[in-house]
Amino acid sequence: MMIKKISKERFKKLFDELKEEYNIAAPILKDKGKEKILEYDFINDFDQIVWDRQPDSSPKNIIFPQNSMLGNDYKGSKYYDDNLSTIIMGVRSCDIEAVKVFDQVFIEDDSYIDDSYKNRRDKTIIMGISCAEREDSCFCDSLGLDPIESDYAPVYIFKDEDEFFIKIKDEKYEDLFEDLPKGDQAQLKALKKQRKEEFKESSFTLDIPTPLPEKEMFEADIWEEMTEKCLGCGVCTYYCPTCYCFNFFWEGEDGESTKYKSWDSCMFSSYSVHASGHNPRDSKGKRYRNRIMHKFSYHPLNYEGLACVGCGRCIDRCPVNLDIREALKMTEEYLLEEGGDESGKD
Amino acid sequence: MSNYDSISQEISEIAKKLLKESKVDKVIGFGLGRFTKEITPIFIKKAEDADRLIFNKNCEMSLTKYLLNYKGEKVAIVAKPCDSRAINAYLSEDLIKREDLVIIGINGCPGIEGNTACEECNIRNAVICDYSVGQEMSEEEIQAEIEGFEDEIDKMNQAERLAYFQNEFERCTRCYACREACYVCNCEQCFTDSNKPKWLGESVKLNDNFTYHLMRGIHMAGRCVNCGACEMACPEGIDVRAFAAKMCSAAEEIFDYKSGMDPEQKTLLSEYKVDDSEKGFME
Repeated sequence: MMIKKISKERFKKLFDELKEEYNIAAPILKDKGKEKILEYDFINDFDQIVWDRQPDSSPKNIIFPQNSMLGNDYKGSKYYDDNLSTIIMGVRSCDIEAVKVFDQVFIEDDSYIDDSYKNRRDKTIIMGISCAEREDSCFCDSLGLDPIESDYAPVYIFKDEDEFFIKIKDEKYEDLFEDLPKGDQAQLKALKKQRKEEFKESSFTLDIPTPLPEKEMFEADIWEEMTEKCLGCGVCTYYCPTCYCFNFFWEGEDGESTKYKSWDSCMFSSYSVHASGHNPRDSKGKRYRNRIMHKFSYHPLNYEGLACVGCGRCIDRCPVNLDIREALKMTEEYLLEEGGDESGKD
Repeated sequence: MSNYDSISQEISEIAKKLLKESKVDKVIGFGLGRFTKEITPIFIKKAEDADRLIFNKNCEMSLTKYLLNYKGEKVAIVAKPCDSRAINAYLSEDLIKREDLVIIGINGCPGIEGNTACEECNIRNAVICDYSVGQEMSEEEIQAEIEGFEDEIDKMNQAERLAYFQNEFERCTRCYACREACYVCNCEQCFTDSNKPKWLGESVKLNDNFTYHLMRGIHMAGRCVNCGACEMACPEGIDVRAFAAKMCSAAEEIFDYKSGMDPEQKTLLSEYKVDDSEKGFME
């Protein structure tokens, strides 16, 4: 492990050095009609990066783009070169944990390795960033994550006003940062301690056994009420950093076609329609059940950890403000009432 | 113009009374979430919960579409003037039953923050209601509110319009929040979900995004009530309302038709008069 401490100017210089050899993606403000939204994109200019708040979208679009014409993903981006590896800067604990979920499913699962994801992932270096403040809707710590530091990123940034500690945990990347001035470990430790103490407590606590009991919750009668206000659009899934459902299809004209991979959403009514026309998830409640159960039951049963990272984007972005924390509280109340305190794990 | 606080209070009182006297099974309105201070649709079943109902500048959702979920139940609904027009449209299309419905209509609607539809809105009083809240606005007051409004897109030439919409629809992820938020979009199967014929490609590309928004726009003729719920729902801040709004003004200009003004009104496309103008939209 190596700790460095640099000024903003030095970081800018480092950025300019790195961009010669890497594609760099980071959160930048983008014009979206009347408003500006903080999103990850490939960039060329250090000063564009916004460090101080949680981006409105996760870096999912970088590591798992909405459309990929297999093997040719970012053709449109000016600052992306397919021959180079990519550094994603300023990724928070929640989004780092989400990458772990993707890795578990697409790479580490023995039954199948997704080559297009693996190729991209092998060429991606995540530079995490420590959270300094809680957003209204985020609750990663209620799910057992640490907003101050995640173990899953090989390089981690701790921004302290205009100075940056850089902690390099994976020696593979030490070369990149070798020339930088050394940082004091005790000082970093103190900063982390202070941050932990000052971090506002979450108004939400997860008091249910996970994995959620599969059969009991599947048959529970709370789902329709829970989704009474749900519109049935795909916003929560598209902006969710861990939702990874996708579709394959061929598309083209004039005798030529290309194989595509695109995001899908379990919240769409057409998601699980059978060829016969039968739809096993023919209501919003059943579809939302799948979303919650995938994150809090099926994923932890099959892999490790939850598939919800508490980033809160589904809450912020939902057109009717359907709150996953409320859904979990309803689940908790249901389980208490029904006496089901057994988790789904054997 | 009415103020939000007094509207909120009036709504709560009416809802409390309706629930106490068992006149309705539930009241659909706006309230705050359990963990956030954001406005969210709430469904009140008990009189003691009626105080949760509020109305403020962030009550941007159109609640009308929820009515389709409660066939056979008696429900009360809080309706902004635009939502009351949507209710009329549902009644005229026989999608809901008047006797199952209690409408708490807002008069003198003070508008919704960030909703550009409100800037051009000239229907500021509920057009159908059982209980009205707020202060009715006179025609002069309404005209004063919208005075000076100019449609920016109308001023653009063809090339500028194309560039404008390209820039907008490039951002579309086709999450279909606009469709789901829209009261008009209640087809059993949307053309976007049809795979025989297949109208749209699965990948999210500009030309398919255009197809989606244009086709949705065309379907809005004589149906859109210009509530702006689509625009408010869009997570990418796209001007998704533009085509529908154009359809509204075209219907008004060509056929003197304004949707949802009367529950007996026939829908634009189901009515034909010999002396109808044949002015084409493309002219």
